[in-house]
Amino acid sequence: MRYQRKVVATVSVAVISGLLAVPIAMAQETEYLPLRTAEGAPDFNGIWQAINTAHWDIEPHGASKGTVPDLGALDAMPGGLGVVEGGEIPYQPEALARRNENFANRLYRDPAIKCYLPGVPRATYMPYPFQIIQSEAHVMILHQFAGAVRTVYMTDHTEAPADSWMGWSNGRWDGDTLIIETDGFNGMTWFDRAGNFHSGGLRVVERISARSAETLNYEVTLEDPTVFTRPWTIRMPLYRRVEPDAELMEFRCVEFVEDLIYGHLRKLPER
Amino acid sequence: MRWNVIVGVANIGLLGLAAPLGAHHAFSAEFDIEKPLTIEGKLVKWDMINPHSWFHIEVTAEDGTVVPWEVEGGSPNELIRNGVTKNTVEIGIMLTIEGYRAKDGTEKAVGRNFVLADGARLFLGGSGQRAGGNGR
Repeated sequence: MRYQRKVVATVSVAVISGLLAVPIAMAQETEYLPLRTAEGAPDFNGIWQAINTAHWDIEPHGASKGTVPDLGALDAMPGGLGVVEGGEIPYQPEALARRNENFANRLYRDPAIKCYLPGVPRATYMPYPFQIIQSEAHVMILHQFAGAVRTVYMTDHTEAPADSWMGWSNGRWDGDTLIIETDGFNGMTWFDRAGNFHSGGLRVVERISARSAETLNYEVTLEDPTVFTRPWTIRMPLYRRVEPDAELMEFRCVEFVEDLIYGHLRKLPER
Repeated sequence: MRWNVIVGVANIGLLGLAAPLGAHHAFSAEFDIEKPLTIEGKLVKWDMINPHSWFHIEVTAEDGTVVPWEVEGGSPNELIRNGVTKNTVEIGIMLTIEGYRAKDGTEKAVGRNFVLADGARLFLGGSGQRAGGNGR
């Protein structure tokens, strides 16, 4: 009897210690070693998507009414804790006033409504998948929204020859982290649907690393001295689309906004 | 002053009703191959956009009057292939452009090439280069 009680006690202690040990191990950041491409770089090939409310508003925000009454609850903004480190974007005072004006007029001012390319990093966290295709010389990032494409030059680093919606990206590896530096923006994109904006002088540095087999860590530092008082950072995980038939669908939104942009030029009444 | 260079999605309608609505390749509908000209003036603005870039030049006549000219160039891709990037020409510089005059008689032209300080030509792509060859 005494021997059995001792065994039970010993086993119980072992089991309880084991159970306690498991949560502690999970709480620690275990270094995940990613699978590698043939060239030895971490393999980020695949289809990824962000799951958060950053595309509505990258700052913390409660749920609020939308801008299209007929869409009711489906156009209402859901609440989110935000993705900006520290919570607030460090706008200069005049820029903050302009951001607030943008928000009040977002139904008319948001460039993405007209299918203009969404810029960086907004394209990453819009609620549509994107695909990373890696080679030694280039990392291609293909977005479902408007078919936007980013070419990240990994070996041939040059200055942007022209300004554009998605900017000009030069990339490099720092250990197992992909660092992408982008500038040459045309200044006409927003960061989200809430009017957060920047100028053509924006410089974006993205740091992408593998967090697990199906997730990435995505950290972005933004710098724009005529709009913000200092550089600031946003951070979020990115999730792999694991379904076997995952693919980007065509989304040519220019056709969907023709009436919105040119409808006033119709000679005949609306169909 | 930092100048604003814009590359937009190719869409003629967005240039407004004042933009030429002729077919993209119809040089002869808008410009006159028999009216070559050389424009020399101050570059006050340039739009590096699709489908055509536009150079806004202020030409000072001998009597001192300043006449604004608009000169059409190729698309950003065509300019870049010819070695013209957003940093090639700065606002405020004196620029010389060889090209062809608009048929509507306004101060508008299609540019074939810049002429650089050393006399070399820097081509602008577009219909001006296609129609005018390489100027030799």
